[in-house]
Amino acid sequence: MSTQERLHETCRRLLEEGTVQVVIGYAHTAPGEPAFPVFISDPADVGQLVWNRCCLANLTKYLLRQEIRALGKPAIFVKGCDERALVVLQRESQIDPAQMLSIGVACRGEESPRHAACAACDVRRPRFCDIMIDEVPDDPPPVAASSAAARYADLEIFLTKTPAERVAYWTEELSRCVKCYACRQACPLCYCQRCIADKNRPTSIDTSATLKGNFAWHITRAFHLAGRCVGCDQCTRACPAGIDLRLLNLSLARAAELQFAYRAGIDRQADPPIGTCSERDQESFIQ
Amino acid sequence: MSEPDAAGFEPKIIAYVCNWCTYLGADLAGTNRLQYPANVRIVRLPCTGRIDFNLVVKAFEIGADAVLISGCHPGDCHYTAGNYHARRRWMLFRELLDTLGIELDRVHFHWISAAEGRKFQQVMTEITEKTRQMGPYRAYREICQS
Amino acid sequence: MSEIISAAELRQLVGAWLVQGRRVIGPARIKPERVLFVPLRDAGQLLLDDCQRPANSAKEAVFPRHEKLYEFRFQGKQVEILDAPPPAAPQVVIGARPCDAAALPILDRVFNWDCRDAHYNRRRDLTTLVTLACRQHDRHCFCTSLGSGPGDPCGSDAMLYGLDDGNYEVRTLTEKGSALFTGHTHASDKVGLAGPGPQPVLDPHAVGAFLKTHFEDPRWARWSARCLGCGACACTCPTCHCFDMVDEGGAAGGAKVRNWDACQHALFTLHASGHNPRGTQWQRQRQRVYHKFHIYPQKFSAILCTGCGNCTRNCPVQLGLLPVLNAIQGGGRIAPGEAVR
Repeated sequence: MSTQERLHETCRRLLEEGTVQVVIGYAHTAPGEPAFPVFISDPADVGQLVWNRCCLANLTKYLLRQEIRALGKPAIFVKGCDERALVVLQRESQIDPAQMLSIGVACRGEESPRHAACAACDVRRPRFCDIMIDEVPDDPPPVAASSAAARYADLEIFLTKTPAERVAYWTEELSRCVKCYACRQACPLCYCQRCIADKNRPTSIDTSATLKGNFAWHITRAFHLAGRCVGCDQCTRACPAGIDLRLLNLSLARAAELQFAYRAGIDRQADPPIGTCSERDQESFIQ
Repeated sequence: MSEPDAAGFEPKIIAYVCNWCTYLGADLAGTNRLQYPANVRIVRLPCTGRIDFNLVVKAFEIGADAVLISGCHPGDCHYTAGNYHARRRWMLFRELLDTLGIELDRVHFHWISAAEGRKFQQVMTEITEKTRQMGPYRAYREICQS
Repeated sequence: MSEIISAAELRQLVGAWLVQGRRVIGPARIKPERVLFVPLRDAGQLLLDDCQRPANSAKEAVFPRHEKLYEFRFQGKQVEILDAPPPAAPQVVIGARPCDAAALPILDRVFNWDCRDAHYNRRRDLTTLVTLACRQHDRHCFCTSLGSGPGDPCGSDAMLYGLDDGNYEVRTLTEKGSALFTGHTHASDKVGLAGPGPQPVLDPHAVGAFLKTHFEDPRWARWSARCLGCGACACTCPTCHCFDMVDEGGAAGGAKVRNWDACQHALFTLHASGHNPRGTQWQRQRQRVYHKFHIYPQKFSAILCTGCGNCTRNCPVQLGLLPVLNAIQGGGRIAPGEAVR
């Protein structure tokens, strides 16, 4: 049975037996075209589900949406990076694993990567899923672990620029931001019911797409994701202006790993760095 | 804030301080008549744990040339752990500032207790002098005015 | 008889416009996979490759993402109101596509509807639009379904038609267009052609008829379920024109500014009472289709869409208008959960 057939069979059974009421997965209109999120409630429709290297979206975004929750207990397809989001969401008490079913799908990392982040990914096979769909001959286990050096290689290269060059780079990048908030909307960890960007009286972050407003927004978003961003790259993919948001998020992910040995969504038991604290933290910049 | 000429440059420094330690330390400096530069504008908050990272950004947005954040020594926080949370926050936030190219030398962190009036005086004087040497912080202001 | 200009001469002319102090907006390759309309720093940045339309629109030239409407200063209890400095530099948009150009008459109607928007009109008067006729299209384009096409001159001041030798035929359509090109072209017998464009895939009248009677159709929730509410569609659309006005400033004063807004944002219709008539994402998506194919046509007898496809092109989940319009077109006969193109 091919991976696709296993996938269909599993989902059909889950829906027919009433184990779940909706399957959140991917479908496409034609092979090679980007797959998009679908919500399947009828077992007869599971044939639409696909799993291929065009499955780009992070479906965990939909778990917190009220209209999707209303469809009933979900089974959700997650890649390794998506699963990291599940771990963080659970840790932050936003989802209850008992009220959902995760279906893990493995990425064949050697093929054209889905995102820039894929090259250094070490979670190509989800680790905690309720159901894992990959034990078939035509879908060999993907290449294993990467290293911190590989993960942050792009950032290290960037940090060879002088501070003045860095400011110039971000001024150029952020000048293209139009404040569409696609980055926020695509991110599964941006789930605040009222985002600080929408706050006025007083206004904390200018809504204008000026450099001042754009710097303020992106600094805020990056830092609100400190120790929470799972590197799924949806923000960078969603940005219509082609801004390299990944680099900003990498900066804080690297800080969290180097200073607190923490990577969001990897260890289900680990304490996130922001929201917890310790008397034993070591730094050299506070006199 | 108007652009002063190089000869007469007076740095504008914003100090976010906690109410229970550093602010009282500043008070002590005052009551002991310990002179420190008038360049510092003190903003009092209940605890360093409350100091949002955005306040640093805001200070530079409105034209500060340097920012100081100061609170109780580890172990002495009036709210037990506020300064530990703050310390973590700054350990991470400085990395973001660095990636953006914002001058870390202009963001200062200290622990100054209520009894350390003299330390308060010294820190303010040092920061003012250092910032005077560095000159006005044009980069972020230009971003905000463009 | 036609007028032609070589690729090199065109680039030189663009350079000359810049030297003359004009603001020149054109496509540039910002990232390996991303072409955007940007204000050009030099003629070398200009990309006139007609294989890929820019991922954003040229509306920024007349309707910027941010502009000051007026400034105010506080002096004690006095408030002084000052006009915001108007844009002074004439500007050229070069390398717009017909779907960008056709958007301008659409925007003209809204910004001159019950009052004449001075800010919009000033920029409009200062702008000359030089459109590149398309020789190729991609699967997201549907201009031909809306009465437009790859060679449509509507809204343009001049058109460029690519020739097989890499040069361009120039057709000036207005005085503004002539002013830019007269004296810079050569007579020729070569004629450039626009491509055939995409096969029309929908009948906007059938869509309009459906919308008149299907506002409460339960399928709207299904068709738009995957929308993230990201606003990329509205921001990259040549015809979307919703805006927000806010006061920005400090103790000394500030400005009333106008910024792009998007009906896809959750707070777009939030009332002060806390009630939100479009509280779910599918309601907001439905609204977008209605505004473009029903509400605007009722007022202005034209469709608020030029078929550029940017909405679907930029959508992180492959939504945008075309999948929903196709679903409507299929008589709305989509089986539950069926994948929608």
